[in-house]
Amino acid sequence: MSNAPTPQSDQELLNARLEQANQQLLQSEKLAAIGQLAAGVAHEINNPVGYVYSNLQTLDTYLNDLFRLTEAVDSARSLDDLRLIKQNIDYDYLRDDLRDLLAESREGIERVKTIIAAMKDFSHIEEEAFKPADIHRGIETTLNVVNNELKYKAEVVREFDELPEVECIISQINQVVMNLLVNAAHAIESFGRITIRTRQEGDHVIIEVHDTGKGISPEHRHRIFEPFFTTKPVGKGTGLGLSLSFNIIEKHKGSLDVDSTPGEGTCFRLTLPVTQPDTDNE
Amino acid sequence: MIKIQLVDDERNILSALRRLLKPEGWEVHTYDNVEEALGSLQEHEYAAIVSDYRMPTADGVTYLQFAKQRQPDAIRLVLSAYGDRDSMIKAINQAEVHRYLSKPWEDHEVVSAIRSAIDLYQLKKENQRLREENNRQKDMLRAREEELLRLEAENPGITRVQRDADGSVLIGDDD
Repeated sequence: MSNAPTPQSDQELLNARLEQANQQLLQSEKLAAIGQLAAGVAHEINNPVGYVYSNLQTLDTYLNDLFRLTEAVDSARSLDDLRLIKQNIDYDYLRDDLRDLLAESREGIERVKTIIAAMKDFSHIEEEAFKPADIHRGIETTLNVVNNELKYKAEVVREFDELPEVECIISQINQVVMNLLVNAAHAIESFGRITIRTRQEGDHVIIEVHDTGKGISPEHRHRIFEPFFTTKPVGKGTGLGLSLSFNIIEKHKGSLDVDSTPGEGTCFRLTLPVTQPDTDNE
Repeated sequence: MIKIQLVDDERNILSALRRLLKPEGWEVHTYDNVEEALGSLQEHEYAAIVSDYRMPTADGVTYLQFAKQRQPDAIRLVLSAYGDRDSMIKAINQAEVHRYLSKPWEDHEVVSAIRSAIDLYQLKKENQRLREENNRQKDMLRAREEELLRLEAENPGITRVQRDADGSVLIGDDD
């Protein structure tokens, strides 16, 4: 799939068309992946919305109590009357709890904001140019999007080394990392660990996604990058995740390798050059 | 005191529910993990248990199934942000939940669901108490009857009082 410069010809035209078809496929796989994540993301948002909404209803009753006290300032006959109301509305509890209520609600809204921002970052269509990007930030964005798929299946461990900015199409790298993470979670039957490691080796960076799942059986190992190959039940996987990931990494002049021991786990290793060789892609 | 158990891996959900239930005057116990929640089933008797569905280590239905074994009288409810068909079917068929509530929730719906769970629990308890009392009384009656039969067998006629025409009790050795 190399785009070696050829003279203006039919072949170049065909190449361009192939490239375009590839782009569309990539985008539709991304949308399909997001569609599959949608239920999880909804869950992830419904939790904070749930308690923020409930807290607002509680806040309403707290306010009514407080107004009862402030309005009594005018009508009460004595200070004792006011003290009695203050006692009745459990003022001390109310005052302490109001702070917690607001802090927790703010936390909830922050979380919704983070998820929405991550979804937006993630679904960027326009960014198709190679640009220096922060790989760790990309990984965090991706983790935010897939958090719901992961947190019930595994503890996520980050072992990040210092990384330089990497010249890449970050939205596509995010997509690859997402595929690897979701696959890792699916490979784990009850509860396990997913380790994300990053490091620099010479003029390459390495991202590893290591799971403690059931592993890939030897007869499947050489087929996992084939388009439409999947061991997931119908409707659960498109079978395109890894094959498109492979294409993306190839386009980045990098490599994607796998190490797997059935019963112990799988490690996907993603190697990317820090700078793209100067061939002026497309 | 009526005790309620709430289980959710999200602490802020637990605080929101605690606030919501405070005016009801129940003793509310909250747990953010299934293991501790399970442990507390041995120490406290709950009227109602409200569990989240998706949690790490065990889902809510699995937890409620355990809870059902340990405390069959406690009424079970699910409060979940994950309302797909499968999870509901599992909740109804396997955990036999009283209500399946969804997040985000309306406060009054949650309160009334728990109230109705408590009513059901108290009805069950009352029913049990009455059945036990009934059994106790039946046993007492049976014991008396047996005693009478024994006396009658030893001394035929002793359990019957004989009277003459004007109603006086006749005491005699035999007929």
